This record gives sequence, structure tokens and C-alpha cells, in this order.
Amino acid sequence: MARRSHLYRVMLLSLCWVLSSFAIAQQPSNTQQPPSSQNPSASQNPTSPEKSTPGTESKSSAVTENATPNQKPDASAPTFHNDVVIKGGTILTVTHGKIENGSIYIHNGKIAAVGQSVNAPAGATVIDAAGKFVMPGIIDAHSHIALDDDVNEPTSPVTPHMMMKDAFDYNDKAIYRALAGGVTSSLLLHGSANMIGGQAIVIKHKYGLGRDEMLFPGAPRSIKFASGENPKRVYGTRNQLPSTRMGNFEVMRAAFIEAREYMRTWDDYEAKLKKGDKDATPPKKDLKLEALADVLRGKLLVQIHCYRADEFLTEMEIAKEFGYKIRAFHHALEAYKVADKIAANGVAIATWPDWWGFKYEAWDGIPWNAAISAHNGVRVALKSDSEDVTRRLNQDAGKIMRYGLTEEEALKSITLNPAWIMGIEERVGSIDVGKDADITIWNSYPLSSTALADKVLIDGDVYFDRSQPGLGLTHYKEVQ
Amino acid sequence: MLKRILISLLLVIGVAAQSAGAQNKKPKPSPAPASHSGPAAASSNETIALKGGKLLTITHGVIENGVIVMQNGRITAVGGAGTNVPSGARVIDVTGMTVYPGLIDSETRLGLTEISADRMTNDQIELSDEIMPHMHVSDAFHAETALIPVDRVNGITNAIVAPAGQDTLPGQDSFIQLAGASATEMLMVRDIAMPLNFTGQQRRNQNFEQAKFPFTRMGMATQLRQAFIDAQDYDQKLAAYDKKKNSSDEKEKDKAGAPPKRDLKLEALLPYLHGKKPVVLAAEEPNDVLTALDLANEFHLKVILSRVTHSASLLDKIAATKLPVIVGSIYEQPKESERYDAVYRMPAELAKRGVKIAFASFGDHMARGLPYAAGYAEAFGLPADEALKALTINPAQMWGVDKDLGSLEVGKMGNVVVANGDPLDVKTDVKHVFIQGQEIPLVNKQTQLRDQYWK
Repeated sequence: MARRSHLYRVMLLSLCWVLSSFAIAQQPSNTQQPPSSQNPSASQNPTSPEKSTPGTESKSSAVTENATPNQKPDASAPTFHNDVVIKGGTILTVTHGKIENGSIYIHNGKIAAVGQSVNAPAGATVIDAAGKFVMPGIIDAHSHIALDDDVNEPTSPVTPHMMMKDAFDYNDKAIYRALAGGVTSSLLLHGSANMIGGQAIVIKHKYGLGRDEMLFPGAPRSIKFASGENPKRVYGTRNQLPSTRMGNFEVMRAAFIEAREYMRTWDDYEAKLKKGDKDATPPKKDLKLEALADVLRGKLLVQIHCYRADEFLTEMEIAKEFGYKIRAFHHALEAYKVADKIAANGVAIATWPDWWGFKYEAWDGIPWNAAISAHNGVRVALKSDSEDVTRRLNQDAGKIMRYGLTEEEALKSITLNPAWIMGIEERVGSIDVGKDADITIWNSYPLSSTALADKVLIDGDVYFDRSQPGLGLTHYKEVQ
Repeated sequence: MLKRILISLLLVIGVAAQSAGAQNKKPKPSPAPASHSGPAAASSNETIALKGGKLLTITHGVIENGVIVMQNGRITAVGGAGTNVPSGARVIDVTGMTVYPGLIDSETRLGLTEISADRMTNDQIELSDEIMPHMHVSDAFHAETALIPVDRVNGITNAIVAPAGQDTLPGQDSFIQLAGASATEMLMVRDIAMPLNFTGQQRRNQNFEQAKFPFTRMGMATQLRQAFIDAQDYDQKLAAYDKKKNSSDEKEKDKAGAPPKRDLKLEALLPYLHGKKPVVLAAEEPNDVLTALDLANEFHLKVILSRVTHSASLLDKIAATKLPVIVGSIYEQPKESERYDAVYRMPAELAKRGVKIAFASFGDHMARGLPYAAGYAEAFGLPADEALKALTINPAQMWGVDKDLGSLEVGKMGNVVVANGDPLDVKTDVKHVFIQGQEIPLVNKQTQLRDQYWK
């Protein structure tokens, strides 16, 4: 397909960034190549996600709830009916420690047994992992890959009815390159131009399959909110509301008040129906207000782009006022300043290990953020928000060990904790019986500079194999 | 390979336990509360001896349980356990630690930016014209930047500061020391080299309706060629004037007239036309590398190649030029049709062909990630010792500062780092940094915030 080269994209981005200061991207660019004017390469515009699920404690009800029309609702139907044994590696289970020289039996795409030895049928395919490390696939809770340039709908500060699935470019090679870095699931979010952005999708990185096969079956819905500098810059430079943090939050409150009103008209209508009023006419369906109502009904996981300590507090106050829950603060560079309060609200953070300084609200970013937050009881995930960094989140997890997290906490930060943020923690994120067999086999200790993903399995099937020639993909055919 | 894996495993496990254990509780109390933003002063004459560490000397192997002594800013002894330590020296026990020369970052924007999004804090590039060789980063270098103390706690002690890359000739680089009493001391070598960028990003061709020369690569190359020809012409006029002016023949002397009008732009190109300083030739695509090399050859420029990110097809050709290469960034995305590791493998492929390579962060706030790029290149086949050389002795030689930097050798500057593991691993924690033989407190804006909030 005639897609623009990355270079060209970089140029476009850089121009935007340079000319209009640091655009809508949350982040600086590459870790190694910071955003600055020279090489804004990796800058992506963050925006919003699009999933749905109760913004609450998690799971089940959410999962059933979610099934957006496009997703396969039946999570129990395996894609592949197979028996696979991964044998002989050091298994980093995430939830119950390390198993040296262990084995995993996979049946019908699910983990059926884990241990020093497992019972598997004689005909099972054996993957020899001797000398290697086996861990759950990496989960990236903040990504904007595979959306071409359709990350932000920056035409209104409130766009909860934008569905990222409508822009999902499932052929994007970025999905493959992340897979080759051990990533098996990602949350593709709307950008951060709007206070209330669109609804995310959760994908499995089954590169080479069709669009619908890549969507995570039954994953809850998420919605992206933003705050701070990006919305105020986007609209402020047009001399529109919001151009300040006061304006930002007022826009949000007004939106929810409107949504409440909308819900009331529907409640009235339904009450009339119940009373047997045959003449009752239904209010007009409004996509935007419907989506906001779903936030208030707890049907959407709320993912908020937010940097500053004071803004976490305001966001939590507004959530309380309108009765919804916040699932996670994303970026969250100042979480360490109010970590106890974030923890008390049961909100997670999805952050970077060491990014800072690319804008004012990132000025106080410190590499101890993850550790201080975790030690205060905050659930911490590391995410990429970058087509570049998503390829090596294992290294980021290694970094935060230096800054005070244990190996287990570091492992969780790129597996189980992002899974929780996305509402799929019952399904993936650890090597546990019953979970999807989304597993990465590393050639050496994964939380290091030098580890490489050798094989990546999703639902028990190998999708990337480094030993294969060409791209190393097993389900992809290059179109001639 | 297997052996290397085993070794790294051992290292990893050891280091992991160590760093997690050590740092888990609470950050160690910081040493002297040096100002976080100000350059660290290096004025005391303290003699320092590091004992018991594993010395990665770079140029003469690894010394287990070694001793290194620094005095008056220089390394005065490097050797095994029996090495004599002068009386009165402050002895630091670094048993179990790794000791290596300060790392050199071959391209940064340090001192040219504070907050990326705030234009007022950025002095990275003069965009008014593509040909700006008379811009000197030393004129903008902000010695008190908060970024340098953050960078140097990762063991980076020296760096090239270069203007950003959107001009073909954006100005002149400086080579800095990451500590010093003021900009004067930190700017070790001003105008050390001049970037010549030819990556396509220098075209201002976003708007066809308002097209302005140079709109294309043809335009850029022609503009560059004309600039060098103008400089040659200027050079000849100066020479002709000098010749007459210095003539012993009085008549000739009188004919000299007024000196040619001074032209800063053309003047700035002269050391490069004369081959006295290197031009850093940045190109990524094979066609751009070839065009840029043609230009350089046409004007007999002394060249350091930079980036060559997507030029795997030219590897042998690049090796045949014998030119040194600043690789990267290895985090650039490969082409859509390429394997995921096409760019990651470039350092290994170049080194395998005998090319002298150096790494650069091309960065500012995240420049501290420099060692990890080398570590990742190692994962894709670059031998570990080559990876470390590409952060130390190779760049020291490329920049002509190897008399002072790049290895643990007697007589060199005391730019030395002590860490608790492999210098290139993400988990490794830097424990001591010495610049010019003085210990630099590992304190910065970020450690201060940590200490304030980590209760």
C-alpha cells in the first residue's frame, strides 16, 4: 500500500512540532531521540482510546458488557485447536514467582498447565526453551500505532463518540515491529487534543491476520480523556474554549451535565413506557451524549492523559461529582507527589520510566516516579505512547528496577498491571492456568539491554519467530 | 555466544539483586549538596584512589581487582591490586564495581534547550536560511542547564553539542565536558566540527504554492556547492590580498588596496575547505549518502559520516571509504518492507567491516539513554567490547581528544565512572562519576524531587 515513508511522517511531525511548539503529542519522541526540534521522530499524537467497560474494579461484568459490535464476543472460542508444550525455560510467571527449567502446556490457545513438569498429550508440539526465559507477552496500555494519522479529531474538545476502530489500520507494520519486541496486546487510544476524546480498541498483535481477528475478543471499552497543556494549546491557539486549565475542566463538567440531562429524557421516556403511555415518543439518539452517558453508567474504562499533581486531584473530584471511576492516569509524571491520594482512589498509572522535560507539565518528571507511586500502593504500568518505545518495553521495565522496584513489580508493570488498566487482567498478563497463551520466549533475561524476543505466541500460536528468515512472521504473506 | 549469554545472565541476576536491594528502601543520602543546576566545580587538588574494582581500560584489557589513581585532574596510575597508592589519597573501595572511562556522546543538544515546548528556552537551530555555518553553538551553550547534571549521573562525561539538523549547514559544533566552573571550562573545544546535513529533512517543501529555493534535493545540493565555491572564491581573494600585502615589492604592496570585506558565513567554511576540521556528514538513505559524499569529495572535505540509518546496501562501500561513522539513531524505524531489526543491526554490520563507529543520543533530556543504545546494538551482534569502544576511545579519536579521553590510561584526564554492573545495561546504577579527577556529586533536579517526596 502506498503509505508514506516514516521519514516523511517524521518530517511532517517535526514541522508541526517545531513551528507550533510541541504539538499534541504527549510525549517526547524516542527515548533516545528526544523530541526536540532536530528529531521529533517518534512523536505521536496521543489521543483517545475506545473501549468500554465499567470503570470499576474490573472484570467480568465489564467483559460481557463490552462486546462492541465488531468484536468477537465469544472469548472462549479458541482460534487454534492445538496442543503445545514450551519446555525447559526459566518461566517468569508474574503472579507466582519464577520456575527454573519449567514447562507450560497449552491447549486450545489457553494455558492448561504450568510447572516443573506438565502432562501433555504425546502429539503436542514441543517448543524447546532450554536456556531461555519465558514470560507473558508484553502489554502496552498506551499506543497510537496502526491509526495512520487519525489519532486526534481536534475539532471539538469533546468527542467521546469517535471510535478508533473506524481508523484501525491493521496492516500497519508497527504492529509487527512491536510484536517482534515481545508485545502481544495494545490499547490503541485517541490522542490528547480533547478533554474527552474517543473510544479505544484493544488489539492482539496477530500480524498477518485480518482486522477483526486482531481485535481482543470481549475486551472492555475504554475512553480517552486528556487534560493540561494539549487541549488548552489546541483550542487556545484558535482562540476557542478551552485555552486554560479552568476552561479545560469547565468543558468537562458542562459535557457531563448535558449528558445527565440526556439520560433524564431517556429515563422519563422509559418511565412513561412502563406506565403504559402508548403516545410516548423516544428522545432523539445522540451519539455524543450516548457515549458520555456510558461513562456515567460505568460502561467505559476512563483513561486520562494527565501530568500534574493538581490535575490528578481535580480529575478525581470531577469523577466523584459525576459518579464515574477513573481507571488510570496516563503519563502521570507527577504521580509521586500525590501517590497516596491516587492509591486511595484505586486509580492506576501508566507512565514512562524516565521521560521528562519536553514541556512544562513534564518538567518535574523523575525516574523514581514508578517506585514511589508503587510503594504508596498505586498500580503502576509502563507504556510506550510511541511506535519506537513499544518495541522495547522490556528494557523500560529493567530501568525501573534500578530506581527501586523489585523484579516482580517491574514484570507486572509491563504485563499484569497494563492488563488491569485495559480490563483484561483475567485473560492475559501472567502465566496462569486458564489464561490466554500469549507468551514471549526471550533469548536471555528479558529485563535487560541485550535480550531479544525469540518467539512470540498469541493464543498458543507462534506469530513471530526470530529464527525465521525475512520478517520472521509466520502468518503474514507479503503482497506482491 | 552461549558463554556471553551465561555471563550476562550472571551479571544480570547479580546486579538485579544488588540494585533492587540497595535502592529499594530509600535513596542513599546524597553527598555534598552541590547546586543541582550549576556546573560542578573541579578545583580541589584531592588525590583519589579507586580500589578493588573491575577496570575496563578499553585500550589494554580488563583488570580485575584493580587500582586507579587520579591526581591533579589526571590519571596517574592504573594497575592491579599491588599498584602503589600515594599517601594522603582518598581511597574509595569499589570492590565488586565496574570502573570505566567517562562515556562520550557524539551528538547532543545539551545546553541548547531546557523545555522542548517552550521556544524561549530553545537555541537549537537558526531556520532563516539553510546555509548557516557561522552559527556557533558555543554562543548559545547554557552551562547551568538542568539537563547536564541529569545526564552525567548516567556516566556520560563528554559530549558533542550540535545544532539541530534542519539546515544543510546549521553551524559549528562544540565538544564539552559535563562539569566545570562555567561555560568557559565546559566548552573544551569550540567549533570542533561542522555538520553537513543531507537527509531530506532540510527541504522546506511543505507548501507547493509558496515554494522557495531550495525546494528539492537538487536545490539543496546546488546551494551547498555554490556556498563552497563562494568560500573558495573568498579564500582566493583573501590569499591574493595577503600575497600583495605581504609582498616585499613596494609597488605590489600598494596595489593590495583595501582587504576583502569580511564575510562571516564564508569565513566559517574555510577551515573545512582547508581540511583542518571534520565535516559531520549526516545522511540516512543510500542515495543521500552518495550525493553527500560526492559533495564532500568535490571539495576535499575531511569527513565523519553520521547516521547512514537506511544504507545497509552501502555497507561495503562505506567501509571502503575508511571513514568513521556516528551510527544511528538505532531507534529509527526500518523501512516498511524491512525486517524489524534492519536498523538495530547497522552498528554490528559496520563494525564487522572494520568501520570505526561511535554512538550518539542525538538527544537532550533523554541523552542519558546513550549506553542503552550501545547495549541494544550488542544484542544484535556488536561485540561487547566494540560497543564500549564506540562510547569511549572511538569517539575520542574521531574528535581528536584521545590524548585526554577515551580510556583508563596514565596521563589521561580523570574522567572515570564507577557502576554496579555492565555499563550498557538498563539496570546498572552509576555510583561515582569523576570529571577531571574530581568527584561529581550525583545530585540533580530529579534527585532533589525524589528526596523531597520519597518519604
